[in-house]
Amino acid sequence: MQSFSLKKFLDSGSLFIWLCGGALSLSLLMIGGLLTLILINGMGYFWPKDLIQLTLNDGSLVLGEWVATEVIPDSESVEHPKGKKRVQLKVGNRDLYGLDFRWVDQADIVNEEYPSDVVAFERLEWGNFYGRIKEIQESETLVASGHENGMAVLFPLLERTNGIQAQIHNIEQNEIGELNHSIEQARLQLRALELSGETGVGERVMIETKVQELEALYEIQNAALIALYEKLEQFRITVVDVGGEEKTFQFGSLVKFWLPNGMGVYEKLFMYVQSFWGVLSEEPREANTEGGIFPAIFGTVLMVVIMSIAVVPFGVLAAIYLKEYAKQGLVTRMIRIAVNNLAGVPSIVFGVFGLGFFVYAVGGTLDQLFFAEALPNPTFGTGGMLWASLTLALMTVPVVIVATEEGLSAVPREYREGSLGLGATKLEALWRVVLPCAMPGILTGLILAISRATGEVAPLMLTGVVKLAPSLPLDSFFPFLHLDRKFMHLGFHIYDVGFQSPNVEAAKPMVYVTTFILVLVVILLNMAAIMIRTRMRKRYAGSSV
Amino acid sequence: MRMNTPNFLPISGKEISSAPGQWATRKTRTTHRRLRHTVDRLASMVVWVGGIATIISILGIFLYLMWEVIPLFRSTSGNVSSNVQVKKEMDFTSEATVIGLDEYQEVVFVLMQKQLHFLRMPQGNPVPEIGGELEISGTVQSSVLIGQKGNRLSVATQEGFVVPVTIFFQPVFEGDTRTIVPTSQIKKPIRVIPNEEELVRHAHSQQDERQMIVAQTRTGNLWLTLVEEPGDFSLSEEVIVTQRQLEVPEHVNITHMVLDGFGKRLVAGTEQGELLEWTLQNGGKEDVHRVSVGESGEAVTALTYLNGERTLVVGTQSGQVMTWVPMDERQARSMVPFRKVSTFQAHNGVVQAISPSQRDKGFLTADSDGHVILHHATTGQTIFEFEAVSSETRALRFSSKADGGAWLGADGRLRTFSIDNPHPEITFQSLFFPVTYEGYEDPQLIWQSSSGSDDFEPKFGMMPLIFGTLKGTIYAMILAVPLAVMGAVYTAMFMHPHLRAIIKPSIEIMAALPSVVLGFLAGLWFAPLLEEIFPAVVTGTLILPVVIGLVCLLWQILPRSLGGLDKYGVDLLIIVVAVMGTVGMCLAFNSSIEMIVFGGNYKQWLTDHFGLVYDQRNAIVISFAMGFAVIPIIFSIAEDSLSNVPRHLVAGSLALGATQWQTLTRLVLISASPGIFSALMIGFGRAVGETMIVLMATGNTPILDWSVFNGFRTLSANIAVEMPEAPHGGTLYRVLFLSGLILFAFTFGINTMAELIRQRLREKYSQF
Repeated sequence: MQSFSLKKFLDSGSLFIWLCGGALSLSLLMIGGLLTLILINGMGYFWPKDLIQLTLNDGSLVLGEWVATEVIPDSESVEHPKGKKRVQLKVGNRDLYGLDFRWVDQADIVNEEYPSDVVAFERLEWGNFYGRIKEIQESETLVASGHENGMAVLFPLLERTNGIQAQIHNIEQNEIGELNHSIEQARLQLRALELSGETGVGERVMIETKVQELEALYEIQNAALIALYEKLEQFRITVVDVGGEEKTFQFGSLVKFWLPNGMGVYEKLFMYVQSFWGVLSEEPREANTEGGIFPAIFGTVLMVVIMSIAVVPFGVLAAIYLKEYAKQGLVTRMIRIAVNNLAGVPSIVFGVFGLGFFVYAVGGTLDQLFFAEALPNPTFGTGGMLWASLTLALMTVPVVIVATEEGLSAVPREYREGSLGLGATKLEALWRVVLPCAMPGILTGLILAISRATGEVAPLMLTGVVKLAPSLPLDSFFPFLHLDRKFMHLGFHIYDVGFQSPNVEAAKPMVYVTTFILVLVVILLNMAAIMIRTRMRKRYAGSSV
Repeated sequence: MRMNTPNFLPISGKEISSAPGQWATRKTRTTHRRLRHTVDRLASMVVWVGGIATIISILGIFLYLMWEVIPLFRSTSGNVSSNVQVKKEMDFTSEATVIGLDEYQEVVFVLMQKQLHFLRMPQGNPVPEIGGELEISGTVQSSVLIGQKGNRLSVATQEGFVVPVTIFFQPVFEGDTRTIVPTSQIKKPIRVIPNEEELVRHAHSQQDERQMIVAQTRTGNLWLTLVEEPGDFSLSEEVIVTQRQLEVPEHVNITHMVLDGFGKRLVAGTEQGELLEWTLQNGGKEDVHRVSVGESGEAVTALTYLNGERTLVVGTQSGQVMTWVPMDERQARSMVPFRKVSTFQAHNGVVQAISPSQRDKGFLTADSDGHVILHHATTGQTIFEFEAVSSETRALRFSSKADGGAWLGADGRLRTFSIDNPHPEITFQSLFFPVTYEGYEDPQLIWQSSSGSDDFEPKFGMMPLIFGTLKGTIYAMILAVPLAVMGAVYTAMFMHPHLRAIIKPSIEIMAALPSVVLGFLAGLWFAPLLEEIFPAVVTGTLILPVVIGLVCLLWQILPRSLGGLDKYGVDLLIIVVAVMGTVGMCLAFNSSIEMIVFGGNYKQWLTDHFGLVYDQRNAIVISFAMGFAVIPIIFSIAEDSLSNVPRHLVAGSLALGATQWQTLTRLVLISASPGIFSALMIGFGRAVGETMIVLMATGNTPILDWSVFNGFRTLSANIAVEMPEAPHGGTLYRVLFLSGLILFAFTFGINTMAELIRQRLREKYSQF
């Protein structure tokens, strides 16, 4: 073995090299850990957990999902040098207990078991209920009692009530929604008549009669609705919690039920997929902490689409101008640097600009010119889909310009010269030869722009995102696409549910799910961009001059 | 290699190919060519116009932000909007004069002794069927305002009676035209002097149902009268009146008295140039404290409270204008009741009237030359002067919206003026330098833009926010720079290309991770976790380099045959395992470490040893979260510049016998240093503007404190927090635009610098 000298070791610098490796691996570990954290928490939420029933030393029972086990802070003692432990359970039944979560000292636990007859109910209000079925009633008659009988009728009954609920939903959303819309339109017409100063009595009477007719129709629908609600109220289920406390609730407030301890892996997997789909496709409930995130996904996608429509033509035009038409010199260089640097300007600054310019200046003017009848309620003079999309378009236009320019530079000069040499005009060369070749660059730019816009929240907070939008920006009423409406957004959903909701602990799983979906989308988009770019580079690698 | 050849279609050959087998005639060919060229010219025009318009509109952002900010610094303008003669037959010598005006400045009232007149401006025509002589018996000696609203007056007679008078201005709309209809209401007289002495001066205040009146007699005695009317919820109908005499020091000639709305203190100015203070709340015998307002002892000639009834404005015989505030309770023992805050531009004549604004800390002063000046107490600045008219001032009133006022001279001329001063509290000084706010001893840097009460003084000191921005950025950089740059060095110089092809893009993807995700994890997951594992984090940071050093040493003394595994990334694997092991160990022994190093409770330890308080959402959390956002950016650019150092230089250096270390420090790092520097700058720019992470993971408290254990508020988070509540066009709105502009200019400047450096670097290496 050769002799070892410390001085030589230090001089060789391998210590520093290893430290560099340490820095890199720490960064990689942090990134990996972060992604794993999001993955586990985001995916784990849907897995139906077993319900554990604990018997405590005072004889009382606790039923719930296991959440965590931890050392009780400041509990080190002689007999427990590492501290005592406690278990956190999600006990649900918020209407009975007040809190969804409960800490149990491990020392108090006498027995733990997994009873097979406990049922978990997901409800529209008050979160989950964990307990046993006592009886099921239809109006005043007892339909079933006990676990076995109850389980037998529960599912068909739930199907029936879901049918009724679908009818209610249909009337509320479609029939009454349409009537309300028509009435509102008629009101606005009246106001517009007033504003125009015309004294056309005939027209006014006509509109007023129409409003009356509509209101009569509304009454009919409303009566139907009340009848359906009464029908729905007849179905009730009485459940008992583990402590013997009874609770009766209507089937109408029930979303679904399952037997956590009686399910096999495949059943759980099936339910897992079902829940995942539910989150993607349902409306939010309980101040966004439960239900789905469909409106947020929809809002994000629509905003990104509108942004793309706005950003591509302008970005590509500016890039073509800079690369193909402008005289290359100091000025173009300066512009290029400026455009490049705009990509580094904080997004909140674009938000401030969007609020001042789009919302107040442009939107306010539009309102006064075209929507005077709705004032003082602003139509475009407040944050909305259009302004948010345009703000983000402005924010991402430098990305598209830079990527397109890169794509244009990668097109070999021979292509251009060859095309011009064959007699094509500049436009023809550009349109038929250069642009098709630069397409991957444009696409990369667009994807990067989309990925940046998808995750951006700060500018949206000023230009039109809301925690709960009453209606989607796309519906069946003319003009179908309502660009003036406020909308929901995945990123803002995370901020809002995680930091503004009253019950943060209960909201956390929802936030993790949203985070998971958002991160997944952004990473996939970026990977696509990187792949396109690599392929593009390879393609022109041999031919570049 | 498969070449994807673009589709070379026949160029725009529709017409040609439409007639196959036939040559196009010369004519069609010419028209066709012309058409093509026209289209081409049109297209280039579209590209020119569209391209330039896009670029201009992007750059226009800066101009628009400027446009919204400029009004903040625009100088105040004002002009006399009318100048009329009030009824000739009135007696303009009496000092018992009060004027006032409605919020639209359309109707002015003049109360002079018993005469109450309403004039419709700007012509000065009397409003018919209203006004005239008030039903007051006796001779009117003194009239003052009750409180600050400007429409409640108090008229006192020589005989010792006080009559409250209220003026109402009712806007009446007829179609689109607005008319102000004034009315007045007179209440029952209150006897304020129990004996036959003659009243010369009085002060009157009211809080809800409780009125307080202080009357001064010809012989200098002071009588305090308290009137408590039954409130809406009170059971008794009785009006309770209590009266007592206040002690007056000898050789004092009172010239002016004011009572605050809370009924807490009476302040009087004297001919000897003193301010006297009676503290009234404790029922019994009041102590009188006094302070002299100037060195020369000139008389106090005007005295009033500013909006909020805390700061006093004092005007003197020689034209001095000053603000004074009461001392804190603690310092009251020194027997000096007030201290001076600022001195304003002096008048040439005697200060005869002062009128405070009802919405901010501004006030108007007028002197014996009819010279009217506008001041602002927060900024300590004199904002605007109206021209003198060489007539003594009888009365002065600031309009309720602080956008105008009225002045009555001893010659019977009534002037109204308008003032355009939408942002009085903003000066360059008040934004960026310490300001003595009401209720503070010394000049302070404070950001506090809004509060529940009306008389709140907004504090727009931007320094705490700029400080917070820098604090967050610097702490993030402390973590991110070593990790990112060292990681980049390793990736560029010592990593196998295959591994590099995977690692580099995966770190780059992290740059796209939405900051709201990082903010959420930092705030809700990491902050509570850090609170628990803080000892492990500290220990880990300290011992991790040591552990890596030891592992390296071990690797070196292993036989060379194993050392040859470097190529396959085995060394990186070993490092990863070592790092994971160390981190894991630290976490596992967290509580033991806390026990041994911090004596069982690190928070207690921090407080005991350094007096630091641990907030859950603090700068360390930000350091990690924002570090996360910045590392990929710095890493990516630094790695680019390192691996762009020409390979033949590196190879040459190694071939000449230099070790890898020597090559790195003497060649690669030096050549790439501008690139690394520009990477740091761009990372810095990103951290400065980061919004969601700081919004979610700090407490957002605008404090000036470098401690790593507490939070801060950045410019960007401040915009996100306050912009939704800022009224369009208001002062806060424009100040937030100014923060946006600062962020824009700062990041734009930094990025431009970084870009220029990078371009120079690129030019330099293109020579090789």
